Amino acid sequence: MELDECLELLYKGQLLPEVTVRALCFKLKEMLVRESNVVHIQTPVTVVGDIHGQFHDMLEIFLIGGPVPDTNYLFLGDYVDRGLYSVETIMLLVVLKLRYPNRIHLLRGNHESRQITQSYGFYTECSNKYGEGSKVWQYVTDIFDYLVLCCIIDNEIFCVHGGLSPNVQTIDQIKIIDRFREIPHDGAMADLVWSDPEEIDTSSIGHRENFYHESSQQFQISPRGAGYTFGRCVVEKFLHFNQMDRIYRAHQLCNDGYQVYFDGLVTTVWSAPNYCYRCGNKASILELYSKNEFYFNVFEEAPENRLLNDNFNSSITNGSAINEYFDDANNTGSTETSISDVDIFSDAYQVKSASSRRVEYFL
Amino acid sequence: MAEKRDIRRGPGIRTVEINAARQVHARTVRARIPIDIGAIDSQEPATSTAISAPRFVQPALPQSSRQPSAAHSHVRHTCNNPRNPPCAHCGTMIVPSPVATLPLEDHPSLTINNWTISTKKKPILNSQELEDWENNKLKGLTLPEMIFGNSFVRIQEKTRNWSIEFNALDALREVKLKDSGIRVSYSKKWMDSKQQKQRQQQRLSIALGSSQPLSDIDDSALQIARHYDWTYTTKYKGTETSGSKKYKFKKDDSQTLPIDKLARPDHILFYDDMILFEDELADNGISIFNIKIRVMNERLLLLSRFFLRVDDVLIRVVDTRIVVEFDENKVIREYKEMEGDYKTLLTKHKMSHSHDPKAALRDSNWVAANIPLITRECEILNLNDPN
Repeated sequence: MELDECLELLYKGQLLPEVTVRALCFKLKEMLVRESNVVHIQTPVTVVGDIHGQFHDMLEIFLIGGPVPDTNYLFLGDYVDRGLYSVETIMLLVVLKLRYPNRIHLLRGNHESRQITQSYGFYTECSNKYGEGSKVWQYVTDIFDYLVLCCIIDNEIFCVHGGLSPNVQTIDQIKIIDRFREIPHDGAMADLVWSDPEEIDTSSIGHRENFYHESSQQFQISPRGAGYTFGRCVVEKFLHFNQMDRIYRAHQLCNDGYQVYFDGLVTTVWSAPNYCYRCGNKASILELYSKNEFYFNVFEEAPENRLLNDNFNSSITNGSAINEYFDDANNTGSTETSISDVDIFSDAYQVKSASSRRVEYFL
Repeated sequence: MAEKRDIRRGPGIRTVEINAARQVHARTVRARIPIDIGAIDSQEPATSTAISAPRFVQPALPQSSRQPSAAHSHVRHTCNNPRNPPCAHCGTMIVPSPVATLPLEDHPSLTINNWTISTKKKPILNSQELEDWENNKLKGLTLPEMIFGNSFVRIQEKTRNWSIEFNALDALREVKLKDSGIRVSYSKKWMDSKQQKQRQQQRLSIALGSSQPLSDIDDSALQIARHYDWTYTTKYKGTETSGSKKYKFKKDDSQTLPIDKLARPDHILFYDDMILFEDELADNGISIFNIKIRVMNERLLLLSRFFLRVDDVLIRVVDTRIVVEFDENKVIREYKEMEGDYKTLLTKHKMSHSHDPKAALRDSNWVAANIPLITRECEILNLNDPN
């Protein structure tokens, strides 16, 4: 199948045949294996945070931010799990990357991992949609091992999924990581996709000298017993040493779509609105026009998601409900109209969703 | 790049959206009007949206609940929210109905005799609210990822001014600000490798005659940031308020819930469920606190459940059930803690389901039925005769 044909199907929310998935994944591996752990790109570019299988919201992003290849995109990882459409989401990104390799860049997030996807939905979704015997999950998780870890924009903006690592002082140390593997629990590669900034109220510390000795400004271990949080001091040191200006990362839900830390040295970008179809949070994409000109384009949930809520509540990743929905969409034809033509305000739809609403005789 | 920003979603709302929201609201309300199969057409519900309701059968209700008249002959509940559609059985049934706002907001309420039940659902806290909770209300706690801090379930007894409410803030106040003792499965390995690396580096720097540490892994890096119970385990049983001291729960573990009566498919007049807080434990499992309530003509049942799964380590469920008998003005509260080893539970489940073995561990009902009970307490409050 031609790439453009695949794209047409994927934009409609249809699944590709398993053989095609296999071929595409193999092709992408060939492409990614040649990339360095750290990719260098130039503005203008739009930075996108966690998607988590919220396919309709990703289509919304392409509406708001502009379609590929007219807009350049950098995705910060966490494409799969939790949402109902991980397969559709990751396959659309895979094909876009193959079709426009210089227009779209995909970093690895902590959910791009075999272990995590078994617990958080992608594994279950694959076997629901392709059948228990299918190998789609293996094909896709295999390409995860090839995704790059970091990206540097205009030589001075550092982008990563999670954050910094005590094992990484220089960018060169990232370049020598052997990334073609499952994400380990431990070490630089794990920290880059897992760690979180921790901002402590510094007004009580007072003098700058004391500030640097305050342990909360350094790397600290999470009370969970694994994983780091990093303070302001660590960030300043890293940026200075590598002549970088600031850091963009994703990984943590923020209710307003983005969250600024340490006066803008670190910013979280979050791109999954109404996360898990119930949080009611906003999402954003970060449009970088040049080094110092940027705009957080904040948006809310795509209307299509609202329809799915009721079905979602009664049966998580219920394959038949999803197919039913897309069957409706497919009958209406072309890409653009297929989604807008499902009349979510129609009585028929409302009756259907209201009748699937349940009161539960729990005990 | 030039014309790409014409679809910008600014602070304003487009007229089309408002209209769409109105329509979806009207239709949601209409779709929620319950239809009595026997009485279709005979009773046209008198809503402001004067179009006849779509016909459908609520599939969740067992047939036996559809016996008309007898059970409804003495109707005594009233709906407190004018937006709730009237009942086809008696003209006053309530099913939670949204207010036409963006985003939709539910604040339904129902009164039976002297008892009023109300719920409210709002989105997660915004960053100002979060800051306030973090710095003032819950100082010292790293907050869970998702807090539905403006949602609540409330049960009030009007004549004696007694009430019990469930909300996220009070639930989180019960989370301990000290080490839970629980670590993620790979913690030991992780810590050991840190210490090993640290020793190596110390040896190396001594060998090189350098006084500077070679990396950021110094002593402070091996400290746990601050101690709080990162599993967010809460023993919260609801927030009581009372006009008089005599209305207090009395402990009596011999009491049991009237399971036989609750198991009857009595018609549900009011149903709601909501999450109060949730955290994914940095993908090491889940910690979630949710509430369900159903109100029947004679009694109500509320279940508040804290569910914790730390992958490869343990599973914990803390259930509080409240039953109110409206005629006797009696409240029973049952509290249960359950906890089990992750692997034992996984093996138990694997025996019946080979495919996708972890699915059941996401299902709190299955888990609660299959892990050992640690504690059970029961309390009773008789408002007619508090002593």
